[in-house]
Amino acid sequence: MLRFLMALLVFLGAAQPGAAVTLKIATLTPDGTSWMQSMRKGASEVSERTEGRVKLRFYPGGVMGNDKSVLRKIRIGQLHGGALSSGGLESIYPDLRLYSLPLLFHSFEEVDYVRSRMDAKLIEGLKKKGFVSYGISEGGFAYLMCTTPVETLDDLKQQKVWTPEGDEVTRETLEALGVSPIPLPLTDVLTGLQTGLINTITSSPIATIALQWHTQVKYLTDLPILYFSGTLVIHEKALRKLSDSDRKILAEVMQKTFLEISRQNRKDNNNALAALRQQGIEFLQPSGEGQERWLNQVSQAIDAMSNKGYFSRTLYNELLQYLDEYRRNNS
Amino acid sequence: MDLSNNKRLPLLLLLAALLGGCVSVATERMAGHIADAMLNQPDPEIVRSGAPAYLLLLDSMIAATPSDHNLLISAAQLYGAYSRGLVTKEKRRKKLAKQAMEYADRAFCPGNKAVCAARNQPYAQFSKAAARMDTGDLQALFTYAASWLGFIEANRDDWNAIANLPKVELLLQRVVDITPGFAQGRAQLYLAMLRTLLPASMGGNPEQGKQHFELAIRYSEEKDLMAKVAYAERYARLVYDQQLHDRLLHEVLAADPEHPGLTLSNVLAQQQAALMMNDEYF
Repeated sequence: MLRFLMALLVFLGAAQPGAAVTLKIATLTPDGTSWMQSMRKGASEVSERTEGRVKLRFYPGGVMGNDKSVLRKIRIGQLHGGALSSGGLESIYPDLRLYSLPLLFHSFEEVDYVRSRMDAKLIEGLKKKGFVSYGISEGGFAYLMCTTPVETLDDLKQQKVWTPEGDEVTRETLEALGVSPIPLPLTDVLTGLQTGLINTITSSPIATIALQWHTQVKYLTDLPILYFSGTLVIHEKALRKLSDSDRKILAEVMQKTFLEISRQNRKDNNNALAALRQQGIEFLQPSGEGQERWLNQVSQAIDAMSNKGYFSRTLYNELLQYLDEYRRNNS
Repeated sequence: MDLSNNKRLPLLLLLAALLGGCVSVATERMAGHIADAMLNQPDPEIVRSGAPAYLLLLDSMIAATPSDHNLLISAAQLYGAYSRGLVTKEKRRKKLAKQAMEYADRAFCPGNKAVCAARNQPYAQFSKAAARMDTGDLQALFTYAASWLGFIEANRDDWNAIANLPKVELLLQRVVDITPGFAQGRAQLYLAMLRTLLPASMGGNPEQGKQHFELAIRYSEEKDLMAKVAYAERYARLVYDQQLHDRLLHEVLAADPEHPGLTLSNVLAQQQAALMMNDEYF
C-alpha cells in the first residue's frame, strides 16, 4: 500500500504543472549556424527565467529525420516540437502554404504588409490543430536559377526543372505552365545538377550558397517565385505540464528569438543575393509582357488548386485583398 | 694597397651579397624559432599576450626581405593560427585573418597567377584554372588554402566569403591527392571539417567527412588532439553519436598535450574538450 501511495505521489508530482520539464525540439537546421545559436540562446534564457523548470533540448541537423518524420515523432510523444518549414507543416494545417503560393508577392514590402495582418490568423489556425507557434520566421524569396538563360515561359518549358519531392503545389503550378517538373529529394539536387538530370532549381539565395548549388548554376531570373517561411511549434499536450507563468515566459522568449531569426534571415538573403552576383551568376530580367503571361497562367493554376481545397478560399481572398490594398496605396 | 672605386665595388657587392645571405638565413632561422616557440608553448596565455610582438617582428623581417618565400609562409601560418585559436574579438580576428591571407597570397600567387586571378570567378572557371596549377610547392598551396579557410571562418557573416568554400575544398583535395598525410594530417582535418558542414538530410555527406577525420587522426599518429575534438564536435554531434563523442573527448582529456609543433593547439583542444563535456548537448 505504501509503495502504491509513493508511486501515486511520484505520478502526481510528474503531472503537476510547474515541475521541471524538458521539451525536445527537432530541426533540419545544422548546429553551429546563427539560427541554432539564437535558439540555444533563447533556450538558456527560458531556463534561467523559469529557474530551471523549463529546458529546451534541441536535435539539430535532421538527426530526427525530415519534417514528416519529426511530425510523426511529435504525434507519438517522442518529440515535443520542431522548428519546421511551413511546407513541412502543411499536412497539419494546409493554409500555411498560402504565403508560398507561386508569384504571389513581388517585394518584401508586400510581404511585410500582408504578414502583419495575417500571421496571427495562421498561428491561430495552427493552435486549433494542437500546435502552439512562436511566430513565423522568414526563409526568403526563391528565384529560378538555371544553367541556361530563362527569360520567358517558353524558355522555362525547355528546361529540366526540379521540384521538391512531395511539393504538390509547385508541381501542379509548373504543370499548369506547361513544364514537366522532375521531383527529387533535397539530398539529390546537387548531384542532379552535376549530372544534368536537372538544370533548373527554385531556391532562396542562402540555401543556394549553403547547399553549394551556386557552383552549378549560371543564371538567375530576377523575379521572386516563392516566399519561404518556417516556424517553431510545440505540441499543446507537452505544454500542459508547464505552469501558466512558465508558458508565458517560454512564449515571450521564443517569440522574440524567432523575430530576431526572421530579421537576420532577411539580411542574410539580401547579402547572399548580392554574393551570387559577385560569384559571377548572371541576373536576367524577364520582360514586362512575359511577366504578365506568367502571372496570368499561375493565377489560373492557383484558382484551380483552391477549388480542389488545397487551402482556404476565404483566407486566400483575404490575402489578395491586402495585397491589392497595398498595391493601390503604393502604385 | 690602393683600391680604386672600380676595384672596390665588386668587393662591396660580394660583401653585401654575403651579408644579405647571412641575414636571410638568420632571419628564416629566427622566424622558425619564433614559430616553434609559439607552437610548443603549453600556456596559451603566454602566447596570447606575447604573440603580437612576434607578429610585429615577422612583419619587420618581411619588410626587409619582401619576397622571402619561407618567411611569407611562416607569417601566414602564424597570423592564421593566432587569429583562429587565440583571438575572440570578431573585428580583430577578421583583420588578422586578412593579413594571413595577404601573406599566403604573396607566397603562392607568383607561381600560380591563373588560380589567384580566378579566385573571384565562377566556380567552373576557378576549377579549370586549379586543374592546371603548379603543385610543386605543396606547402605554399596548403598555406594558401588554409589561410583562405581561416579568412572565410572569420568572415562567416559574409555570404560571398562563404560562397568560396567549395573553391577551398577543391584546393585541399588537391593537396591530399598528392600527399595524403600532408602537415601531419592537417589537410585531411580541414577537408573533414568542410565535409561535415551539412547533415545528410540537406545533401551533405558526413560519412565522407568521417573518413577524413579518421585519416587526420591516423596521420598525426593520434598526437593532434584538435583532430579528435573537431571529430566530436563536427561529426559525432552532427549524427548524434554520443558514444563516439564522449570517447573522443575522454581520449583528448587523458592525453599528454606536449608534442613538437602541436603543444599549444593540443592544450587549446583540451580546454575545448572540457567545455564540450559539460555543455549538455546530448
